[in-house]
Amino acid sequence: MLKRIEDWNYYELLSVERTASQDEIWEAYQAALATYRDGSLALYGLVTEAERGLVLERVQEAFQTLRDPDKRKEYDLALLRHSPYVPPKAPFRKSVGKLEIEDAPAKGTRWARLKRLFVKNP
Amino acid sequence: MWAVGGGKGGTGKSFVAASLGLHLASLDRDVVLVDADLGAPNLHTLLGIKASHPDLGDFLTNAVPALEEAVVETPYRGLRIIKGSENILFIANLNHYRKLRLLRQLRQLQTQNVILDLGTGSSFNTLDFFLSANPGIVVATPEPTAIENTYLFLKSCIMRVLKLYMDHYKIRDLHQKMLDQIERNSQSLYGFFKSLMESDRAYGTMLYRALRGFRPCLIMNKTRDERDVLLGRSVADVARKYLLIDMKYLGAVPYDEGVRASLRGLKPFYLEHKDSAAARAIRQLSEELAYSIEFTLRTPPEIRLPDA
Repeated sequence: MLKRIEDWNYYELLSVERTASQDEIWEAYQAALATYRDGSLALYGLVTEAERGLVLERVQEAFQTLRDPDKRKEYDLALLRHSPYVPPKAPFRKSVGKLEIEDAPAKGTRWARLKRLFVKNP
Repeated sequence: MWAVGGGKGGTGKSFVAASLGLHLASLDRDVVLVDADLGAPNLHTLLGIKASHPDLGDFLTNAVPALEEAVVETPYRGLRIIKGSENILFIANLNHYRKLRLLRQLRQLQTQNVILDLGTGSSFNTLDFFLSANPGIVVATPEPTAIENTYLFLKSCIMRVLKLYMDHYKIRDLHQKMLDQIERNSQSLYGFFKSLMESDRAYGTMLYRALRGFRPCLIMNKTRDERDVLLGRSVADVARKYLLIDMKYLGAVPYDEGVRASLRGLKPFYLEHKDSAAARAIRQLSEELAYSIEFTLRTPPEIRLPDA
C-alpha cells in the first residue's frame, strides 16, 4: 500500500508482522536503531538529518508501545479499527508448483539464518 | 538470467559475477558469463583468460551472426564466457535495435544459467540489461560513496521502469512531471504517486504496480565487521520505505586480501581460496539467489521480449 513514512504503523515501521513475538520486536528495534542512528551510512545521500530524527523518534515510540503488553493490546485494537489484519499470502512458485511457504524456512528465522551465515560471532 | 550491477566502480561486481559463475559451474551446471560492461570490460582477466576474438563486439558488428557463436570455452569445466569487446567506442553507445537484438539472443542462449556482468553507472543500456534480468543484483560496499551511488542507481532504475511503462501506455506527459518531482527529496517518489493517484487513479495504480514489480537483490561486498553486514539490511529497509521497492538483502561477502593477490596472479580467487570466508559467502549467496528467483522482477514493456 502506498504510504508516507509518517503514516506507517508501528509494525510496518519496525518491519515486523503484527503477530511478532517480543524477541522479534527487540531484534527489529535494534535493526531500526542501527539504520536511523546519528551518522548512519544507510541513509547517506537519501534522507536528511531532520527526517532521520523524526523517524528515530517514531521508532522509539513504536518500541515503547509494543514492548508493553497492555499498551500493545490497546494499540492493536485501535489499529484493527482502521485497518483489519490480513496475514500475508505466500506467493505461488511456478517452477515447483508449490506455495513459497512450503519450501520456506520457519517464519521469522530468515534474518537469524543470514546472521548465522555472514556474522562471525552472532 | 542474472545481472550483477551497481552504481559505483570498484565494488566488486565482476568479482561477484565471476565467483557465482565458477560456483554454479562447480555444481555441474552449464553457465555462460557475459561481460556486458560495455565501457570497460575485464571479466576475462578475473578468470585469468586473455582477450581474444570472438567477443561481444563481433556479434554487435555482425562479424558473427549469432550470439551463440561468440561464446567461448574457459579452462573451467561447465563455464563458458562471452568476452567484452575491445572496440569500446562503438559498443558503449549501442543503439536501441542492437540492444534489443542482444537481449533477445541472450535469452535464447543454450545454457542453464546466464550471468551478466554490467558496467558502472546508469546509462539506459546498463539499466535495461539490469531490468531484463531476473534477478538484478546490486553490489555495494560499506562506504558512503558506494551507498550514495547505490541509491542513485536504484532511483535511475525506478525512473527507467516508470518511463518504459509510460511510453508503452502512451502517457508521455507524465514523464516530465515525474522528472520534475522525483529529484526533489527522499519522499518525492511518494509525493509523485500520491498526486498521480489523486489526478488519475488508474494510471497511478498501474505505475505503482509496475514499480512494485521491480525487486532487485543486494549484496554487501568487502565487509569487515558485523556493522558492515548489518548495513546491507538497513539499506534494503531504507529502499523499501523511501524508494517504495521490495529490495531483498542476500548477504555479505567479507573483505579478503587474497582477492587482490589472485587478480595479480591472473587466477580466479574463488578457485584459489575455496575455503576462505569470502568463497563460503559466495556459495551461500548463490543458494539465496536460487531461493529468491521466483519473486523478483516483472520485466517492463519494450525490453519485455516475446520469448521472455
